[in-house]
Amino acid sequence: MKRISVAERANWRAYAEEVGFHFHTFDGEPYWDETAYYQFNLHQIENDLEAPTEELHQMTMDMVGDITRSEEMLTLLNIPRDFWSYIWNSWNKGEPHLYGRMDLVYNGLGPAKLLELNYDTPTSLFETGFFQWVWLEDQIKNGVLPEHADQFNSLHDKIEAAFTQLNLPQPFYFSSVRESVEDKGTVDYLMDIAAQAGVDVRYIALEDIGVITDAQGSEQFVDLDDQAIKGLFKLYPWEHMVQEDFAKAITVANTQMIEPAWKMLLSNKGILPLLWQRYPNHPNLLPAFFETASSEPLAAGWVRKPLFSREGANVDLITANGEKISAAGPYADGRYIRQAFQALPKFRDEHRNADTYAMLGSWVVGDSAAGICIREDASLITKDSSRFLPHIILD
Amino acid sequence: MKRSKKTALVLMVPVATLLLAGCGEESQQALVFSDPSECSAAGLNDTAQCNAEFAAAKALHPQVAPKYLDKTECETDFGAGNCETAPQQTTSGGSVFMPMMMGYMMGQMMNRGGSNFQQPAAASAGAASKVPTQPLYKSRDDRGTFRTATNKPVAGGIGPITLKPSQVKPQVGQVVRRGGFGQQAAARNSFGG
Repeated sequence: MKRISVAERANWRAYAEEVGFHFHTFDGEPYWDETAYYQFNLHQIENDLEAPTEELHQMTMDMVGDITRSEEMLTLLNIPRDFWSYIWNSWNKGEPHLYGRMDLVYNGLGPAKLLELNYDTPTSLFETGFFQWVWLEDQIKNGVLPEHADQFNSLHDKIEAAFTQLNLPQPFYFSSVRESVEDKGTVDYLMDIAAQAGVDVRYIALEDIGVITDAQGSEQFVDLDDQAIKGLFKLYPWEHMVQEDFAKAITVANTQMIEPAWKMLLSNKGILPLLWQRYPNHPNLLPAFFETASSEPLAAGWVRKPLFSREGANVDLITANGEKISAAGPYADGRYIRQAFQALPKFRDEHRNADTYAMLGSWVVGDSAAGICIREDASLITKDSSRFLPHIILD
Repeated sequence: MKRSKKTALVLMVPVATLLLAGCGEESQQALVFSDPSECSAAGLNDTAQCNAEFAAAKALHPQVAPKYLDKTECETDFGAGNCETAPQQTTSGGSVFMPMMMGYMMGQMMNRGGSNFQQPAAASAGAASKVPTQPLYKSRDDRGTFRTATNKPVAGGIGPITLKPSQVKPQVGQVVRRGGFGQQAAARNSFGG
């Protein structure tokens, strides 16, 4: 695993705008960064990343049924009691899932370690599936990279295949919060692939979703024309949905949700201590525990994360050397877990003449590993502002 | 190869075009009247048909009319004295209000071939128009125009009109609430991770 500096493509910004990738630069700071790429060999990809991703995914899936039946685990995960039977049903009916991303620490040697699962609302999908793919094709065409350079990135193909096989209700709706350009970008890409797979796609801003109550008192989700929403992809966390005004409607409306409700159990940091309890000392897991009232203050070599948080928000860590690092955020209102600290690998960014830390995202579509993406940050906590860098496979 | 065989975008690039449902649909003729006596007087349908279609529209009225939880809000849209209590109740037993029916539109019609009413080719063979019979309403700020329950203006007065049936498909009107999702959007600006 190497970090290699490379010249940017001449017109990539104009191209990004043309294909709807409007968040390539965020608040004047680069988000898409092609001043360098990461290089892996095929053994690293297949043995250290692809196989462990599928194994971790399977271990996680094997726990879902048990959690849905365990009052103790549902309580530890802070799942509202009103949703216990809804989640049990969504799992037992076999409601299908589309995709997820696990975040890993990997330095090219030894086993990758699972940091967390983004199994409900993963983004950076377009950057991975489309933009980094085009980057490689361009750089091969430009003679910058050799003809046989490859990439671990079958995301586009696998999502298209999933939409073909899922047999979704038609029309199928896609939703995100109105103000987020980044979330809309992810949803646009998913809608695009779904349309190519023959799905009748519609967009509705999350805030525009309506609920009608008919004369019998039963509730249904509707679009702005009051037409029933029978199927909905929502890029909005389940843990928020179950707390909001329409929470009760979810349990009675006959709407198929993607991701399904049982994913609420896996996008929760509480899955990390549950996994460690079930599979202690698994080479791809880090020790993890629920924080309790009697927990010791955070010690060196440990990380503290809220059960529900995204993009590194509200994470505190103390390195093995005792250096304290914290990321601010809006999720300071819930419970926490503790996870053993594993430093992200450090690389030299020659372009910026600075050190940089790399985190690896490993995608899962259905139950298959579907590629990777790399996020870089000057800090040990990867955040929403962390840069996205492309990668290649070359032996 | 560990990467996708192809990637393509069809919606996100400006050159892409989409065919919209309903584009190929043919316009159909329909009749608009305030009440059955106007309908009979016009002589385009016989009296029995005028009455039957009026009864059908009247029966549909409480189902499709827009609903309000507050009578004042209803009158803001439809004018003072133009709203009535709907037969439905909220789950907690509260009253629901709806505008009064101000007219009706019918698709069924006789083949009279009158000078002021050109039958389309399909209908001239005696086939029924596909425009669904339904009640019509008038908004407070536009008293001259007949509108469907979904607020689509269909006629500036009584008599024959042409329109695409799919645009006036009656929908069972219910109390719609919106904004029940996304309430934490203000506090947190992105939800991906």
